[in-house]
Amino acid sequence: MSEATDDAPDVVVVGGGIAGASAAAHLAASGLSVALLEKQAEYTDIVRGEWIAPWGLQEAQRLGVDECFGFGGGWEIREWTQWDETVAPGDAETVDMTRFVPGVGGPMAFPHHTVCELMAEQAADAGATVVMGAQRAAVTGGEQPTVTYRLDGVEHELRPRLVIGATGRSCTVGRQVGVSMTNSVHHWGGGLRVAGLDDWPMDVQAMGTEGERMFMVFPQGDGMARLYINFPTENRPRYQGDGGVDRFIADFELSSLPDGGASVYSAATPIGPLKLWPSVAMFPEQSIVTDGVVLVGDEAGNADTVLGTGLSCSLRDTRMVCDVLTGGDDWSPAAFEPYLIERKFRMERLHFGADIVAKLYCEFGPEAMARRRRARELMEENFAASVTGLLNMVAPENVPDFGFSEFFAERLFRERV
Amino acid sequence: MKKDSLLTDTATVNGIEIAYVDRGTGDPVVLLHGFPDSHYLWRHQIDPLVEAGFRVIAPDLRGFGESGKPQEVEAYDMRVVVNDVVALTQHLGISRAHVVGHDWGAAIAWMYAFLMPRRVDHLAVFSVGHPGVFSTPSIEQRKASWYMLFYQFPGVSEQLLRRNGWRLFKEIMGNEGDYQRYPRELARPGALTSALNWYRANRSPEAELRVESNFPPVLAPTLGVWSDGDKALLEEGMTGSAKFVRGSWRYEKVTGASHWIPLDQPEVTTELLLGFLGTETSAAAPARRRRMYGRSA
Ligand SMILES: Cc1cc2nc3c(=O)[nH]c(=O)nc-3n(C[C@H](O)[C@H](O)[C@H](O)COP(=O)(O)OP(=O)(O)OC[C@H]3O[C@@H](n4cnc5c(N)ncnc54)[C@H](O)[C@@H]3O)c2cc1C
Repeated sequence: MSEATDDAPDVVVVGGGIAGASAAAHLAASGLSVALLEKQAEYTDIVRGEWIAPWGLQEAQRLGVDECFGFGGGWEIREWTQWDETVAPGDAETVDMTRFVPGVGGPMAFPHHTVCELMAEQAADAGATVVMGAQRAAVTGGEQPTVTYRLDGVEHELRPRLVIGATGRSCTVGRQVGVSMTNSVHHWGGGLRVAGLDDWPMDVQAMGTEGERMFMVFPQGDGMARLYINFPTENRPRYQGDGGVDRFIADFELSSLPDGGASVYSAATPIGPLKLWPSVAMFPEQSIVTDGVVLVGDEAGNADTVLGTGLSCSLRDTRMVCDVLTGGDDWSPAAFEPYLIERKFRMERLHFGADIVAKLYCEFGPEAMARRRRARELMEENFAASVTGLLNMVAPENVPDFGFSEFFAERLFRERV
Repeated sequence: MKKDSLLTDTATVNGIEIAYVDRGTGDPVVLLHGFPDSHYLWRHQIDPLVEAGFRVIAPDLRGFGESGKPQEVEAYDMRVVVNDVVALTQHLGISRAHVVGHDWGAAIAWMYAFLMPRRVDHLAVFSVGHPGVFSTPSIEQRKASWYMLFYQFPGVSEQLLRRNGWRLFKEIMGNEGDYQRYPRELARPGALTSALNWYRANRSPEAELRVESNFPPVLAPTLGVWSDGDKALLEEGMTGSAKFVRGSWRYEKVTGASHWIPLDQPEVTTELLLGFLGTETSAAAPARRRRMYGRSA
């Protein structure tokens, strides 16, 4: 390996979200020279995932970045009470989420931007060069890749051995090296961080459907929570413009919740922006590994956000790629074969699961409700029917195979036997 | 982490490396933090005290911040820590100082004051009363400070406190003090164990049972401060301290502050210190005044 210099680090990571920042932290701790380029001048709430599955936390542990979640304001959620319009609030069943992944506990809700910031800080402490406010990053691949960017109006050029593209769903690096995406959008969603939920049980999350809303309450401790609503695409104007935030909060007046949701809608005060986004699944049309460039996180394609596995996936990507980079001197595209194989398998399962979950919880109206009611009854009769829900908790390869058969999906929806 | 530091020096004293703030010239004031803080607890008071003409000494007590972190429980015996403060002030050429403490730092300050009366000019103690009061807690007080008893199980408690993103620690701390900073500080190598060792060394069940009644009196003019938002300590712990003070005794109750008075009511804290230190010179005339500070009572 040639001696790394400031202009020629081993690795340049473009994008400092969960994927990029965790990669930079891990690689720097492993003794590689790393530059991390992040577009934002400082981390702010750009409304990304704030609920991480237990299997994602396990990946974070393996990467050595798990404490960033705890320090950044993460809060373990222990229970999921399955409030939904198909059941009276008092009858909703509660799932103990702490026992799925040994040594991890329940999922965690956390303020996304502070965790990214801590990971970037950890990378810097381990010796990485962290560039905040890097504009117009441009990557050319090949055996000798280059990355240019502007900082405070000054142009810089880096010549690393390898570039990790982690710019998220904007897919900036991917497009620059010729990777395009096909998209499919099932519905839209909105997210808002709030405080003041003093009467909401901080151990308990909600995730259910009522009317034209799939609602989620993910407590972050101290009366704070991340609220999400998934809704039909045509309802977008409801949460836009003047009063959008108020209408968003008011939409937590839900007869599915105890007290009709008063502990949310009458108590919540926003502590961040409300952002709306298409709940999009993205499929890369070319290989996400090319000469000198590897894509990770959303940039490499992702399943519908309704599944809540994007963060876990990003960390898994990071770990698979880091294993190659720290495991030997061969950084050729062929060396990343294990990553490609694992990711293909993983994403097939996640897309399959996300389709089921979106169909079950993010389609609205009488027909969809009847379908959901039937499916929930089936799940109550036979626990095996909730196998898809396991994708939230354990890694895709640990979910039993039968959950990914068309036969299972048909049985679940009882649309064809 | 560096940005949360105002430290100016380090010195090896009493066999341990102590990091500290030493700023200003004039009558020395020693500021002693508690659990799980560092000198940084006093960040709002240091500048005003320096500007008012004091020399401010604010160490990271052993086990905390940038100071040494021995891992044995015995290293945190109160007497050992008091000797750190004695050795540090000697190292700095200070023979007599105002001593100010919060939480464990208050306990240290009390002990310093009754063991070494000549080294203490004025004494100001926040939240924690005289150990003579504390050693006979009422049932109510025991309940209020249940979290102290939690630390009694060596070995498991670190693991339990850290587990699942420091969930239990966060439950205990709530959103008080520098709650967002504490887990990061305590995650540094050895830091959690040494912080907990303060409790293990000094409030083991045996120590609670031991009746230590013969405390020498505190001769310095003493200001005791307690806050009505303190969830762990009772007002009677502070008010009951009066009988151990031979110097003048002044009690102040601060409203609108949690246990972390210097952080929650920084101006009130500064004002109390400026109004008290170096004002009452005699240890003879006890003035038992009672005043309310802070937001509406
Ligand atoms: C509203 C919403 C809710 C979600 N909810 C969940 C959930 O509950 N659980 C879950 O697991 N997942 C969830 N997801 C998905 C999850 O947020 C993503 O999968 C995850 O954030 C992807 O991480 P990333 O690092 O790949 O991309 P991002 O998080 O998008 O980070 C990309 C980073 O790169 C930076 N960047 C972008 N372009 C450039 C450039 N040209 N140069 C330099 N830097 C650049 C950005 O500023 C950003 O910091 C949600 C997503 C959304 C949008």
